[in-house]
Amino acid sequence: MSLINIIHNWIDERIDLKTLQAKMLNEPMPGGSSYAYAFGSALLFIFIMQATTGIFLMFYYAPTADHAWQSTQYILKELDYGWFILSFHFWGASAMVVMLVSHMLQVFIWGAYKKPREMVWLAGIVLFLIVMGFGFTGYLLPWDQRAFWGTTVGVEIMDKAPIVGDFLARFLRGGPTAGAQTLSRFFVIHVMILPAALVIMFSLHLFFFRKAGPAGPFKATAKELETKMEFFFPRQVFKDIVVMAGVFVVIAGLSVLSPVELLDEASPEPTDYNPEPEWYFLFLFQLLRLPMFSGQLGEFLGAIALPGLFIVLLMALPFINRNPERHPLKRPFAMSAVVLLMVSIVVLTWLAIASRSE
Amino acid sequence: MTLKIKSRVRCSDRDVGEVTRVIIDAIGKSISHVVIQLDDSERVVPLDGDTVITEGLVQFGFPSSKMGQYPLLDRGNYQQVKEVEIAGLERHLEVFPGEVLVPVPTLERDITRRTFFTNFTNAIGVVLALPLVYPVLRFLTFPMYQGFDNRWIRIGNIGKITEADKPKLVKFQKTVKEGYLEREFQKSHWVVKISDALREEIYHGKSIEYKDSNGKVYWVNKPDNDVVVFSGKCPHLGCAYKWKENHKRFGRVFWCPCHLSIYDSGGKVLDGPAPRRLDVLPMRIAGTGEIEIIDAEFKAGKDNMIRII
Ligand code: HEM
Ligand code: FES
Repeated sequence: MSLINIIHNWIDERIDLKTLQAKMLNEPMPGGSSYAYAFGSALLFIFIMQATTGIFLMFYYAPTADHAWQSTQYILKELDYGWFILSFHFWGASAMVVMLVSHMLQVFIWGAYKKPREMVWLAGIVLFLIVMGFGFTGYLLPWDQRAFWGTTVGVEIMDKAPIVGDFLARFLRGGPTAGAQTLSRFFVIHVMILPAALVIMFSLHLFFFRKAGPAGPFKATAKELETKMEFFFPRQVFKDIVVMAGVFVVIAGLSVLSPVELLDEASPEPTDYNPEPEWYFLFLFQLLRLPMFSGQLGEFLGAIALPGLFIVLLMALPFINRNPERHPLKRPFAMSAVVLLMVSIVVLTWLAIASRSE
Repeated sequence: MTLKIKSRVRCSDRDVGEVTRVIIDAIGKSISHVVIQLDDSERVVPLDGDTVITEGLVQFGFPSSKMGQYPLLDRGNYQQVKEVEIAGLERHLEVFPGEVLVPVPTLERDITRRTFFTNFTNAIGVVLALPLVYPVLRFLTFPMYQGFDNRWIRIGNIGKITEADKPKLVKFQKTVKEGYLEREFQKSHWVVKISDALREEIYHGKSIEYKDSNGKVYWVNKPDNDVVVFSGKCPHLGCAYKWKENHKRFGRVFWCPCHLSIYDSGGKVLDGPAPRRLDVLPMRIAGTGEIEIIDAEFKAGKDNMIRII
């Protein structure tokens, strides 16, 4: 018996390891494995890569207003492969958002949010908000002009919430305007609070998912679900790994082809820099330019009420939409709504990019 | 009727053996087959509509001679149920071995005792946490609210602003203490030498009063000043706006790159989402012609000017 076997058996005797391993891998998937189910695992993979590269960056990054920019510059320009680690983290953030939207679209189209998977969906929405929070707080950390101005405008939006808005915005900024305290706070949120929240919420997400069981294909007879049934291991695991490898290659490729560029150090004097948020927030930015969202009331409607309503609607979705039908072609209303939403986001983003040169 | 392991198995003609195992359909979450110990073999037989299950007995509709057509049990093709994670199986399946019970400790059979301990545990938690709420809140909110800085700051000489209605960006250094950190950075505001038309547009013949949070007036801008200083911060969401000599629609205007608000040289909103005109800063002219301002900031996105710094 090999040493590994001996150790394995020793542990197994104490914590019933083999059953645990078996249970993790032997999850019956109705209708079998599919690449469509790989998005969630790919998200987890990207998160793990973000945590890893993030920890590497913290070896050198200094989260204070007088050194944040210099330490980022050092990582980027002097450290061996610092540019790669930072760029990987940068592109990983975008990949996470892309994967998040893909995952949400997949579970939406497959009708996987319906009973009995409402709790999985709800935990998912919280994860969605956490990932957005990661993007928003991380944007400030390089402390260049892009960072400073994106945050100045972004937090200002929070201020527009009724009653608590002023408090919330000040709480996030650690003062009436964005400055040194804001950097400290965003740093703590980005590297401590959100990762902990994500790990907890992901555990719940997966727990709920395992309790409810995978939804499986949206069109299949009971007989097909059974005859094509597979366990999670090995074929789904294999498909998940293939997608993860693809994601890795894309992120690494983008990091090499288009490494992070640091602008001038943050300053309340923007010189010729035109503020803009990260690309996945551009549609919101463009939304606030629309005439219907002008003035104090309009701003509240566009910056707070509309996005807030959207999140509430997402949360309420499995409770409003109770028809058990899962086939997308038999849910024309839900499908039109999601197409309309995606088209609006693409158009708004495109408008924001098109008007850059103005 | 729940199926029990060790139940006798009877075909239409005679008893053939007993149930040794049951097989579950992981997707349907029900018993699909039973494993029967016959005289010489173990066979896997599906439960179908003709099967009658009663206490301790499984009765098939077919004769014992048909038993041979069912496959022998190949244990390698099956996994134990505890090694497979079948969602919600317990709730779907009533199989062996029925209810398994554990006695509640004698000491804890008393409900009031249990309630007492539950409440007491919660009370301890509350008593420990409550006194911490205020200090923690103070700790976290400490830098959020600060007094206003009414220092006069020199930003340039009025002699350099010669042309009326032509805004000029003036930059100045400002030192700010944030927590333990003292930083000096550059800021900028727009100074405009005003024509009579602009003077009327901005002042309407009246002075502009600046009030602190208690409503007390701390400064008054008189209409007879030759210049006006606009805060460099866009009243929409706080970006820095710019002066354009040739905007394609509006000509000579202030233009904010963020959400494209447009203001005329007197600060009036011509287009875009801005909720109010540009903020006029408290200013005075020193004897030497130096323009001095109070570097106040006002909350963006509001219809009126609410001071925050
Ligand atoms: C960090 C973010 C997230 C991670 C790491 C994650 C991870 C996962 C994983 C590993 C699965 C299991 C299999 C699969 O991928 O289908 C899953 C399933 C699921 N997720 Fe997520 N998820 C995240 C965010 C979300 C969001 C934002 C939503 C929706 C609002 C969501 C809704 C669901 C639903 C409904 C399922 C069940 C799918 C099914 O039964 O087929 N998740 N998630
Ligand atoms: S910040 Fe100037 S238009 Fe929005």
